[in-house]
Amino acid sequence: MNLFFLSILLIVSGGILALILWRQFTVMKAVGVFAMSAGCLLGLIDALAKLFNPGQYSFSVDYLNVLSLSFKIDGLAAFFLVAIFAVSLLAAIYSFHYMDKPEKTLRTAVNYLFFSLLIASMALVVTAENMIAFMFSWEIMSLSSFFLVIYDHQSPENRKAGYLYFVFSHVGAMFIFAAFGIMYGYTGSFGFTSALPETAKILVFILSFIGFGSKAGVFPFHVWLPHAHPAAPSHISAVMSGVMIKTGIYGIVRMYWVLDLHTPLFGEIVMIAGMVSGILGVVYALGQHDLKRLLAYHSVENIGIILIGIGIGMIGVSSGNPLMAVLGFGGGLLHVLNHAIFKSLLFMGAGVVIQKTGTRTIDALGGLLKNMKITGVTFLIGSLAISGLPPFNGFVSEFLVYLGGFQGVALDRTPFVLSLLAIVSLAVIGGLALACFTKVVGVVFQGEPRSRAAENVNEKGPAMLVPMLLLAGACVVIGVFPRVFVLMALKGVLSLGLVSDTVSLAPFVQMTGNITLAVAIFFSVFLLILALRWVLYRGKTVSRSGTWGCGFTQPTVKMQYTGSSYAASILAFFKPVAPLHEDHPAIRGRFPNKTHYHSHVSDIAELHMGNVIVRPILWLFDQLRWIQHGDIHLYIGYILLAIVVLLFFI
Amino acid sequence: MTKSILLWALAIILAPFFSAVILKVKAFFGGRKGSPLLINYYTLIKLFKKGSVYSTSTTFLFKLGPMVSLCAAITVLMFLPIAGQPPVLSFNGDIIFILYLLGLGRFFTIAAAMDTASPFEGMGAAREAYFPIICEATMFMILILFYILTGKLQLAAYFSGAHPLELWQAAGSPLLFVVISFFIILLTENSRVPVDDPATHLELTMIHEVMVLDHSGPDFGFIEMGSFCKLFFYSTIVASLIFPFELGHPALNMAVFFVVLLLVYVAVGVMESVMARYRMDRVPKFVLTSFALAFFATLITLEFVK
Repeated sequence: MNLFFLSILLIVSGGILALILWRQFTVMKAVGVFAMSAGCLLGLIDALAKLFNPGQYSFSVDYLNVLSLSFKIDGLAAFFLVAIFAVSLLAAIYSFHYMDKPEKTLRTAVNYLFFSLLIASMALVVTAENMIAFMFSWEIMSLSSFFLVIYDHQSPENRKAGYLYFVFSHVGAMFIFAAFGIMYGYTGSFGFTSALPETAKILVFILSFIGFGSKAGVFPFHVWLPHAHPAAPSHISAVMSGVMIKTGIYGIVRMYWVLDLHTPLFGEIVMIAGMVSGILGVVYALGQHDLKRLLAYHSVENIGIILIGIGIGMIGVSSGNPLMAVLGFGGGLLHVLNHAIFKSLLFMGAGVVIQKTGTRTIDALGGLLKNMKITGVTFLIGSLAISGLPPFNGFVSEFLVYLGGFQGVALDRTPFVLSLLAIVSLAVIGGLALACFTKVVGVVFQGEPRSRAAENVNEKGPAMLVPMLLLAGACVVIGVFPRVFVLMALKGVLSLGLVSDTVSLAPFVQMTGNITLAVAIFFSVFLLILALRWVLYRGKTVSRSGTWGCGFTQPTVKMQYTGSSYAASILAFFKPVAPLHEDHPAIRGRFPNKTHYHSHVSDIAELHMGNVIVRPILWLFDQLRWIQHGDIHLYIGYILLAIVVLLFFI
Repeated sequence: MTKSILLWALAIILAPFFSAVILKVKAFFGGRKGSPLLINYYTLIKLFKKGSVYSTSTTFLFKLGPMVSLCAAITVLMFLPIAGQPPVLSFNGDIIFILYLLGLGRFFTIAAAMDTASPFEGMGAAREAYFPIICEATMFMILILFYILTGKLQLAAYFSGAHPLELWQAAGSPLLFVVISFFIILLTENSRVPVDDPATHLELTMIHEVMVLDHSGPDFGFIEMGSFCKLFFYSTIVASLIFPFELGHPALNMAVFFVVLLLVYVAVGVMESVMARYRMDRVPKFVLTSFALAFFATLITLEFVK
């Protein structure tokens, strides 16, 4: 454990040093980034070592002699630590060139402080072994990320996003507190034990699922996500979307393990939540005009895929099918790592685009691939990976989840229906994700620039490009040689002891070998075609000319297909869940006035949250206004009354 | 193994010929003599001899598109059992790999189309992204049915040797639904009438053809070759389903199989001759029919199996 705490210490000292050195902008960044990335690297190596050499790594301390804080690293925690440290390491390096506003030097320093606290608290969340340590780290995580979200607090939109995030993370925390409270009520200890009656266990699981789900971004508790991610600086979005929301997933898996109740109900809840989040997340993503909001909705989608995997695993456990359990949990966990990799890559790519063009509007961009080769190519790789296409990493984890789902098809009744729905929704999610990312790549990086902002851009800043190259490389490596990474996820699963240790790993190793073989053959065919193409084009005249305009001789860049038009027909199909609002005055008369077009896709969760929850609560509080009358004597009376009432409880 | 590789090569070589059959059938219905059956080979040779003109808007993705889509189509053929023979490659879950590999080809085709900045190609790309979503859902629905019947996720476990006949014996008549829904997928994925009209001359109404407007020379040849292979893949599956029998002699078996395959192509040709293309907003409903059919086939079979 010493190495682990040393890395935490290094990370936090990076943040504090940055704050101390805030007057020297570049020095501050260099020291902060160096200490934080060194800490992350140390933590990463340590976590990998602990994942492959499972053992008892624990540590506990009595804080203020009253609260005992204990930490432990098992296989599951080590797996999440790998994702947390790897992404944070690259995000820290990325931030060196991304935070390029010397006039905001103090704010940048504060940003580094909270960034280091965020990394440290995430690492502590997944290692916490009792409720106090867990909630302590959880609250630090929520608060530090809140301050990171409101980095640009001058804009009222960002303040609103920060407020929304604050409310959601605290309502979520209240649910977790409630769940822990019930556990404490039965066991009288702060440790995670399963000495509860069955009905209490079900209640605890549902409460904590809502609490953790609101952090993870499970539909309908995802409302904060598409607001908070665009508001935060891009490296923070990468960390928040890549790993912070995964602590919610960690919480769900951990609670399932702690409660040790293998009822099919849990699997059913998780799977249904996964399918709804998966499909709606990608549908709303298609309707977005803001690049980072779009990526945020894709996080909802991928959390859905992860939950489908975990749900399949839980059903596998409850129906006594170890293969299905391992495939489901393994696929879900591997997708946690994969999503951390490609989503942080995509957010970093979006960050470069936003920094160089100054706009987040998809339909104002275009043709960036010509001037931003590295950003464009790495973003393309990220897009292919998130669409779950071979030979990239997203495919491997979805493949595992699919295989798990097909195991479930052999069961009967409810598990059968759910597995069937899971497979079909995974297929639909895959297709929609492909549609969405061809839209992003096609509209943002290809074609011609749609506005001034997208012309004459550059991509300077090696500290931003290197992490993106590394992440893109990881996408390809995991996609082509999945063996080690599948084993890593399986180590995390098997450490939970949900299935007996007798499950043979040989079929999984063979399966990864099959993927490698198939991909190798694909690449060899590709090389043959490449050679053929070279032969065919040898000595030929190759010329350049304008795009064929189908007879129209005066094309302009405004005629290009926009992201909105690209997504329109698919969105029309999903109209009941994604109502489209259009503002478009009709063109009338011989000399029509200037017109405009504006469209907006509503998120039904956001729409109904306002009507169903917020408005009644506001009404209720409005009715209670008479309590706050401003009379000091009566306020003292309230205090006395409260003390008297409390006396009865002692 | 050698036999499988030879068959794979044969499939690639024969794919253009079979596609020409559709043209011949359409010509017959139109009362014309039609182009020769080897027309596609002549076209390919002509294209391969030419140079190319690239749009100034395009990037390397425009050149990568045709190569990846052809590569995906050729690789997919390796997993395909032809005439009941075992395929070159086969493993548990290969069908999922195949479907996603075709998705990779589609991604790059769309990317190449979006590269040109042409509004028409964008329009085609949007449709190409939309309709296959429903097709994929149908494919997985059929896969679930096949998994219930065989307990395997392998193309070779469905269509090689005596397996197709076992499918029919296990499922019975509901498999007819599957044949129809496969045929609908074939029409959609390969941009045939009534989903898309490869012979139309109005860019606004096209899907696949409009996406490749700017490609020329060998690049365009690759695209054509890729679509022939893809059509061959789907047609072989349909042919294996409607001709599940094994005749005593392997040569005879092979010959009869190719005749059945020819019939599938003729059916596509007849379909194109007697039907008009649907309006674009009607297409999703048509494709959804295939999903409904596959879904009901699964439900009926479940009762049947029990």
